[in-house]
Amino acid sequence: MIQVNNLVKRYGELIALDHFSLEVQDGEIFGLLGPNGSGKTTAIHCMLSLLTYDKGDISLFGKPMSPRSFDLKKRIGVVPQEVAVFNELTVQENIDYFCSLYVSEKAERKKLVEEALQFVELTDYRKFLPRKLSGGLLRRLNIACGIAHRPELIFLDEPTVAVDPQSRNRILEGIRELNRQGATVIYTSHYMEEVEQLCTRIMIMDKGRELATGTKEELKAMIRSGEKLTLEVPELAEEQLEEIRKLPGILHVNFDGEHLVARGEGEGSALMAVLDLLRQNRIPVGRVFSEPPTLNDVFLEITGKELRD
Amino acid sequence: MFGSIYRKRVLSSLRSKEMLIWTWIFPILLATLFYFAFSKLDSAEQWSQIPVGIVADSEYQKNQIFSQVIGSLSEEGDSQLLLAEMVDTLEEGKSLLREEKAEAVIYLENGSPKLLAKENSWNASILKGVLDRYCQTEAAIYQLLEQNPGNMELLSEFLSTKVLTKEASLTENPPTDTLGYYFALLAMVCLYGGFQGLESIYSIQANLSPLGARRSLAPVKKFRMVFVDLLGGLTVHMMGMAVAIFYILCVLRVNFGDRLGLVLLTCFIGSLTGIAFGSLVGVSARLKEAAKTAVVVAATLTCCFLAGLMVSGINYIIAQKVPVISWINPAARISDAFRALYCYDSLIPYLIDMGVLVLITVILFAGTAFFLRRQRYESI
Repeated sequence: MIQVNNLVKRYGELIALDHFSLEVQDGEIFGLLGPNGSGKTTAIHCMLSLLTYDKGDISLFGKPMSPRSFDLKKRIGVVPQEVAVFNELTVQENIDYFCSLYVSEKAERKKLVEEALQFVELTDYRKFLPRKLSGGLLRRLNIACGIAHRPELIFLDEPTVAVDPQSRNRILEGIRELNRQGATVIYTSHYMEEVEQLCTRIMIMDKGRELATGTKEELKAMIRSGEKLTLEVPELAEEQLEEIRKLPGILHVNFDGEHLVARGEGEGSALMAVLDLLRQNRIPVGRVFSEPPTLNDVFLEITGKELRD
Repeated sequence: MFGSIYRKRVLSSLRSKEMLIWTWIFPILLATLFYFAFSKLDSAEQWSQIPVGIVADSEYQKNQIFSQVIGSLSEEGDSQLLLAEMVDTLEEGKSLLREEKAEAVIYLENGSPKLLAKENSWNASILKGVLDRYCQTEAAIYQLLEQNPGNMELLSEFLSTKVLTKEASLTENPPTDTLGYYFALLAMVCLYGGFQGLESIYSIQANLSPLGARRSLAPVKKFRMVFVDLLGGLTVHMMGMAVAIFYILCVLRVNFGDRLGLVLLTCFIGSLTGIAFGSLVGVSARLKEAAKTAVVVAATLTCCFLAGLMVSGINYIIAQKVPVISWINPAARISDAFRALYCYDSLIPYLIDMGVLVLITVILFAGTAFFLRRQRYESI
């Protein structure tokens, strides 16, 4: 569906995309995950032929993409990061306008607009002007304008920025539904939880480069870090902390005076070993939490910094 | 597809408050202001009666010639100059002045008419002129009679007022100062089409707005989209133009002559020029939308100032001193075209103005097309 090879994009001295390559298969929900400024949006704009690039090849649907590839553009839907609608047109008129750029037949368009309104649950707001909508509803309108013409390939560039949790869940569920209906989705975000929940394959990016690509399980398997144990412990001596560090399967340990945080290694769990050691030392333990490794851990281990930085 | 783009553009423009204020309401307000400010400008040369106190003492009663002159100047009718109030003494006349019942007092002193006015006003100058003329004429008659006693023919010839010049108009409709303001006002409305051009370009160029980026991704040729969008903008602008013309012609009853069709054609071409200018500003400079709007407003007002919108007659000075500026100023060409339609029987001066305006428009659109041809951007 999408093939990008060795893409290089410079903004003056800054290299925005550094030999960036990507392959997306038909029917995937492909996530581009990276911090702000990592090159996700630039990569999308290059793929859509909005931006010039210095080197590389891009093909969509097996054909080279150019600004005049109208046959390809007809099959693509884009939901941009910023809300891009007409402020003086109502919700329905906006969706109809963008749909009309792809579908000229009036009766068909009417049906598609109605479906899009229902899909994003904006039927009750069809006569509203965008300025009367809340942030979440506005984002849903932004999505409806991008998908009303039923594209085969949909680019969603951070569609949930500044959206409340309820609207976010609806948007994510909507994207899954689009995928079930047959659309291939490219989804960019810097929210790792979203990408983890939604995407079938994920590419982690930083500084315009691909750091790792795979399913979330594959990505997590790439790193040494395992589960993260958090135990409420009232006090802990330095010698006891050293003993925990020496336990097999423990990568590193931290104690902040209240919480003992231990990072395991690999797929196994060191929880029982830690609890046994604390019991032997007669150290009382409060609540215990165990979390599997996240994509943030993957990012942290590869780059040495948090994804949220 | 294009019908939908066109309809939505018209709808969106009609709902835009900023657009309505600048291109619909502002011209009407300005026209109304002109109407009230200048409605008496063209009739400023007409006489108005001056309230005066006449000291009708014994000397006045004796001087029958002077009292007859005052009587005829006070006679009701079109040529009445004085609203005379007779008083017996100079003191009574002065009290009329104090009470502001009269602007001046006329009295006789040793046979000579004298004027007493409270201040050096325009009316006092007129009265002074009238009395001076009376004195000169009286002296001349006495001198004539002394040198040529009995020659009544000579006296009669002297007293007859001969006008040696004749006022003639070169045209059926002589231009007035007020009309020039309305012409320049309509030129301003035409050039405010720049807002529509700016709006179209701003919402279509990917490097200017998110909306432009989104529309650039559609499977539609950019030039077609721009063309239909500008057409929608032109439609709304012409609606505003029609409202302004209707208001000026039918409500304010300003006479633009009897070539209404050509007046509308001028508005259409002028609006195209405005739209082309706004498009070029929109596409050529990487400024924020507000900054570009400011450029359009500033350029339009400068052009209109030079065309005589704010100061009457400046257009003539510019045309005389710096004719190139006058020729390339679209506001000057538009208002000059209106003037040509109103004043001249021949259409040649009008067609020259229109030719220049069309040339300016073509150049502006060509510049816009040059910048628009870019399909991909370095950065957005």
